[in-house]
Amino acid sequence: MKIIKSFSLLFTVSLALMVSSCSNPAASTHKDGYNTSLSFGPGDESKIVEAFLSIKDSTDILLKQGTYKFENLSIAQVKNIRIRGEGFDKTILDFSQQTSGGEGIRVTNVNGFTINDMTIRDSKGDLLKINMSRDVVVNNLHAIWKTADSTSGGYAIYPVLCKNVLIENCYAQGSSDAGIYVGQTDTAIVRNCKGAKNVAGCEIENTLHAEVYGNEFYDNTAGFLVFDLPGLSQRGGYVKAHDNYFHDNNFRNFAKAGSFGTSWGVGNASPGSGVIILAASNIELYNNRILNNNSGAIILASGFAVDDKAVEKINDHYSPISKNIKIHDNTMEMGNSFPEPVYQHHIGKLLVGIEQKLNAQDPTRKNKRIPYIMYDGVSTNLLTNGTTPNPDSLCIQQQGDNIFVNADFININNPKVWHPNTEVSAYNCK
Amino acid sequence: MKNYILFGGSIFLLMVAGMLTIEGCGNNQHQEKAAVDGSYQFKEKLSEYGFFKNNLKDLDPQPGVFHYELATPLFTDYAVKDRYIVLPNGKQMNFVAEGVQDFPDSTILIKNFAYTNTDHKKIMIETRLLVKDPFDKKWKVMDYLWNAEQTDAVKHIIGARLPITLLDDDGNKITTTYQVPNTNDCKRCHINNDIFTPIGPKARNLNVTVAGHEENQLSEMARLGMIAGLPDISTVPVLPKWNDAKHFTLDQRARAYLDVNCAHCHTHGGDAYNTGLFLEYQQKDPPHIGIMKEPVSAGGGAGGLNYDIIPGDAAHSILAYRMNGAEPGTAMPELARTVIHKQGVQLITEWINKMQKQKK
Repeated sequence: MKIIKSFSLLFTVSLALMVSSCSNPAASTHKDGYNTSLSFGPGDESKIVEAFLSIKDSTDILLKQGTYKFENLSIAQVKNIRIRGEGFDKTILDFSQQTSGGEGIRVTNVNGFTINDMTIRDSKGDLLKINMSRDVVVNNLHAIWKTADSTSGGYAIYPVLCKNVLIENCYAQGSSDAGIYVGQTDTAIVRNCKGAKNVAGCEIENTLHAEVYGNEFYDNTAGFLVFDLPGLSQRGGYVKAHDNYFHDNNFRNFAKAGSFGTSWGVGNASPGSGVIILAASNIELYNNRILNNNSGAIILASGFAVDDKAVEKINDHYSPISKNIKIHDNTMEMGNSFPEPVYQHHIGKLLVGIEQKLNAQDPTRKNKRIPYIMYDGVSTNLLTNGTTPNPDSLCIQQQGDNIFVNADFININNPKVWHPNTEVSAYNCK
Repeated sequence: MKNYILFGGSIFLLMVAGMLTIEGCGNNQHQEKAAVDGSYQFKEKLSEYGFFKNNLKDLDPQPGVFHYELATPLFTDYAVKDRYIVLPNGKQMNFVAEGVQDFPDSTILIKNFAYTNTDHKKIMIETRLLVKDPFDKKWKVMDYLWNAEQTDAVKHIIGARLPITLLDDDGNKITTTYQVPNTNDCKRCHINNDIFTPIGPKARNLNVTVAGHEENQLSEMARLGMIAGLPDISTVPVLPKWNDAKHFTLDQRARAYLDVNCAHCHTHGGDAYNTGLFLEYQQKDPPHIGIMKEPVSAGGGAGGLNYDIIPGDAAHSILAYRMNGAEPGTAMPELARTVIHKQGVQLITEWINKMQKQKK
């Protein structure tokens, strides 16, 4: 017994010797609770690639100030990883020399992942894709394509199929889809971020329990989107967006799929949109400043607006008709005219048509702008042949004039019966 | 006496520790932990395993190294593939009707990749090993890159791009940059629901009579004592051979091709789970197979097209479009293919074109 004890003590000593005799200055232990801390500088790219590939649980990697050039980086199937730089203006990861495309940084099945204080830029595919991971924190990260056109990758910051995501103090620019995109995730916070010159500044898609606040999305095609798409792993909902500043989102839609006039996903976002809610339910939008998005401050559309087969896709994971949407106490303003790119966009043209129709059918409007909130008017009455007013529990409480239009999308191709209606009373919060 | 043992033992431990330390502080500072915790350590060179007799590149297997084939294999740039199962002495795998066979701990699966050069010579590129680690019961992966002399292959984790000129199945010359995967690339296809797993050795894909053999491959494995619990072979599911139009219908062959080439990612829990496009052989739901399904995050990869499959119209179906491209960002599969598999594209194009058109 005594011998066994001494033996195990010796074994422990041996272990300690092994660890301590590693004199590599880059490796030390127990930094901020991580078992392994590694530190690298510019020029160490090949070592960094190898360190990412052979990373073990509980590792902290510091990339010191400077510019790094990578094909791509990936981390898979580990726990408690932190990747950090020395500041977004100090540590720069450049993927512009990629030959094989794909993501800049790809994170898969990591339980406990933090990345912060750096800029990542100019990959061919998405910049940071985090797939099927838990407890994810993205902080003080700038994710940028220098040219905002269809050569850019889709998503700058892209957690998908994750659980517990926090994205804060980040900046996304130039994405040909959404700058910050949270997809098929359960529980996410996006706060104090900025996004400009993306097709969408931020998009929450098929995601449950998301809170989006304190952000500024500007100069995108559309500021903020909440979408539910059919056929995916889960239905989204329970999304709150408040105290954000969505402004001047009037950029042309340069989504890649849109270049051939097609119409899925973010290609459907009209230039000049502040907020778009598409087929998503249980959403609350309040205390936001939604200014100078010149095609519509808030657009509430059903899946039917973009997919004539939406009804065939209804199941536990998808309803094309939004329910329980609360819109209140936002500050909304719009410019005097539609942004120029709206006239080249298929949904944009509908918005222009709605404004013209309203002003034609009611001269007392004296050529006012399209109302701030555009609802496509497709409700569950369509499915039930019902006539219930407000069957999907929309609730709108906004001060001022020219707040709302039910655009009667169902009849939009039938000019004789098409009648957009600005009467909001049925939708006022009770 | 007891003290002597203790002393000797401790010297031994210190020596082991010292050796591990040296290794651990070499080119890879993470190894010391792996060595200490008892998990599987891959050897430096392929030759060290002793899988093959004489000239390594002849891949002439030693007893206990079983060469196997799949009914429908993954396409990898017209690569010539050799596959082997190495079971630990006296151990068997347990038959599993659906999915990958239940292999015993310490099983090694070997897959060698070579190409046919313009002199019609077989040139070795890489050898991939999957090991079922007895330490934690998990599969582990390592790649070995063949040297220029073609005498051995050396452990290689960071991937590589190799310019090669190969002959395809019809003898056409193709120049490309072959992509050797890094170890995380391996995981992209081999992880399902966070579990690393082999892909090929499923009962249905092993259920084939290999050319030149009399006996069904699974029956042969059972006869050799490699597999336990194999039921009557006529009851084992069959994966159609993608290029055998004599025995299988167009639909069967196309679905088998998609299963093997796509469904490791395009499945519940796979790397492309987020897309909602699921291409397993057993998948029945038309939108999940891609029929009139809109893309989710394909971006420019969709080529401006609207649906994965439009029945009767392969020319406007994203599935056929992406198989028929080699550009990164467009090409599917994203990994393991840098040239177009013309015969595969032809199969899928014909399959889509012969699908019954839907009413608009």
